[in-house]
Order: sequence, then C-alpha cells, then structure tokens
Amino acid sequence: MTDDVLIPADAESRVDLAELLAASGLAEAEVLELVEFGVLESHGSVSGWSFQARVVHQARRAATLRDTFGLNTPGMALALTYLERIEALEQRLRELQCLLPR
Amino acid sequence: MKFKDYYEALGVGRDASEEEIKKAYRRLARKFHPDISKEAGAEERFKEISEAYGTLSDPDKRQAYNELGRHQAGEDFRPPPGWDSRFWQGQSHGEVDLADLFEQMGFHASQRQARPDFPMRGQDIEAVAQLSLEEVARGTEVSLERQVPQRRPDGSLGRQNQIVRIRVPKGVTEGERLRIPARGGPGSGGGPPGDVYLDIHLKPHRLFQAVGHDLYLQLPVTPWEAALGGEIEVPTLDGRVRLTVQAGAQTGQKLRLAGKGLPRRKEGAGDLYGVLQIVTPKQIGEREQELYRELASASSFDPRQSFFAGASHD
Repeated sequence: MTDDVLIPADAESRVDLAELLAASGLAEAEVLELVEFGVLESHGSVSGWSFQARVVHQARRAATLRDTFGLNTPGMALALTYLERIEALEQRLRELQCLLPR
Repeated sequence: MKFKDYYEALGVGRDASEEEIKKAYRRLARKFHPDISKEAGAEERFKEISEAYGTLSDPDKRQAYNELGRHQAGEDFRPPPGWDSRFWQGQSHGEVDLADLFEQMGFHASQRQARPDFPMRGQDIEAVAQLSLEEVARGTEVSLERQVPQRRPDGSLGRQNQIVRIRVPKGVTEGERLRIPARGGPGSGGGPPGDVYLDIHLKPHRLFQAVGHDLYLQLPVTPWEAALGGEIEVPTLDGRVRLTVQAGAQTGQKLRLAGKGLPRRKEGAGDLYGVLQIVTPKQIGEREQELYRELASASSFDPRQSFFAGASHD
C-alpha cells in the first residue's frame, strides 16, 4: 500500500543512457542507431549522453513496435518518424477544425 | 481462476502451427496496435492478443496452457491435479490471473535453469487520465486503483489492490505523458522497480476546444454586432471578460485573448481565440423584416461583385 502522492518527473529533466535503456527495453546499439538516424535526440558526448524526458516515451514506443512487428532499427526509425508526422498533422487538423462553424 | 481462450483471441485453431500463430498475431496487431488504431477499445483488444501471443508463442507455456483443458472464456476453473507442480513451483491461488501465471512461469524457468539470482525489473504501471480543462489548468491529483501481482510468503501468486495517487502539475495538455520513475511494480532478484506512466487526455468541453495550450471558442455574433462593432461578454476558464468586436467584423476572424488559454508548466499561458461566426436569426418578426428591407434598399454592398466583374458574356 502506498499512501503518498507520486510526483511525476519534470518535463525538463534529463535521463542518462542507462535509465533510457532500462525504461524502454531498447538495446544500446539500437539507441545509438536511432540517434544516428536523428530520430532520438541526445545531448553531450556518447560516454555521458543525456536525453530529454520525452525521449523515454519515444524509445518505449519504438521498443513496442519492434516487439510487435519484429522491426529492425531502420524500421523503428521510419515508424517513429511517420507517427510523429501524423501527430503533428492531427494537431494541425484539430486547429483548423476549431475554425469551422460547428 | 478465470479461463481465457487464447486460441480464440488470436482466431486460430488449437492445432495451429507456430507460424500460423505468429501470422495471426501480426495481422491482429497491425489492426489493433494503439499507435495504429484509433478505434475505441483497440488498446484493450491489443492487450488481449498480446497476452495470448505471449503464452502461445512459447512452446513450454503453450503446452502448460493446453493442459489446462478447454473451458468457456470467463469460466471459473481449477487446473488439473499436479499441473502446478509440473509447470512451476508453488500453487496457483483461486484469484490468480492467467496472465500473471504465465508471465511468472517464463521467469521461473529461466531462474531455475541458469541464474538463481537473476534480477528482474519490476512491471511498469501504465494508465490514462481523462481530465477536464479546469483540472489541467489548476493541476490536480488522480487516483488509480491497480491490481499488482504479488508473491505470497508461501510462494504462491495472487493479486493485491494498490491505490496509486499521482500529482498532475498544472500545465499539462492533451497527449502528454507523465513518468514517475521507480514507482511501478517491485523488482525481483535484486532488480529495480518499474516506472509509472500516466497518459493525459482532455475531456471534451462544452465551450472550449484545446489545441496545445491554446483554447478556441466559437463566438456567434449578430449581423448588426458585426457591422457596427461593440463590446461582447465572453467566457474564459477563469470568468467572463469583455471583448471588443471591431466594426466590419467577418466570419472566421480570430479574436485573440492573450494569456487566457491553458497555463504552461513554468510560467505564462496559451491564448484564447474567439472565432467569429456571424449568425442570422432563423425567423424574424414583421418589424425586423421591415428594417431589413429598408437596409437592403439603402445599402450598396455587394459581396458577389467579383463574380461577374469584367465578364461580357452571360
């Protein structure tokens, strides 16, 4: 029984590579490749990489897609890119729908 | 425990080959994966097929599952005598969930064979919070009741109810995911605990639509308000404000109320946009008709002027 209130990590906070790997289930080589593809954004040098909190969600999503569809890293990179593009378009669509008479 | 028909979940026969099971899973996953399908209930369905595939794709687990026999889905049943001790150490209690049982089973096998102290990370807890605009504007707290798998001192498996309370800070918006590290299910064999994830969804609001931190409000005005301009009263999340409509206002025009949208995390807030909509009354009285006719004869305004400008034919 936990009775305390859980406080979420700050959206600005950073995680290191070890935490990103543990939280997402991605392998280090996969993260390296996704960074190379420019899909995941890292800060600092490889030895001391840090990632913005949102990267944890991207990485988890990539790992789920990998496990479900047997994707390799380029496949994950492509899927993430498309999903993020779809989400940006959906946001734009919502914005435009707000301008239409209801 | 309650029976689940994993073959039915994947839509395959009991004699399906490994390859057929994999194909069925991939096909259903493509249809119901939450990143792909926006259908209601897709996420639940995806969990179901993933659970079924997790068991049927592993030959040992599949055999153990087969030996549970055939039952109606949802039917309360007991495993046949000796099943527990053959497939894993310990007993399965009445209220155990099949999913936990088969998950633990894999873990158990690897633990026995190779490394007795193999550390396993705890389960992540994932949940969705449906919040109102008012709640995200001022921050709120959500309570989740979770059933977490629990190993009893005698080694048996059960589920324990756990209340998890999560502070949602002000400034979150649609689609945001909150993460609380290391507060998920406990790890085993010295492994770290899992994390807690909370997805934020905004409930539809009667008046406002949220896009990021901006809010949109449909703002109906009368033809004379639009033509003459004037002050109108509009709602915001924190009370009414007066807004000036300039003379000659047009449908679709966006009137911006700076800082009246959803607050952001640190400081500041999005904007509130009133989208003007000139509406005419569906029915008007005699006096109004008279005035409209008078207006029609006095006005030289022609919104369709450009249609035939320069056209010599027709």
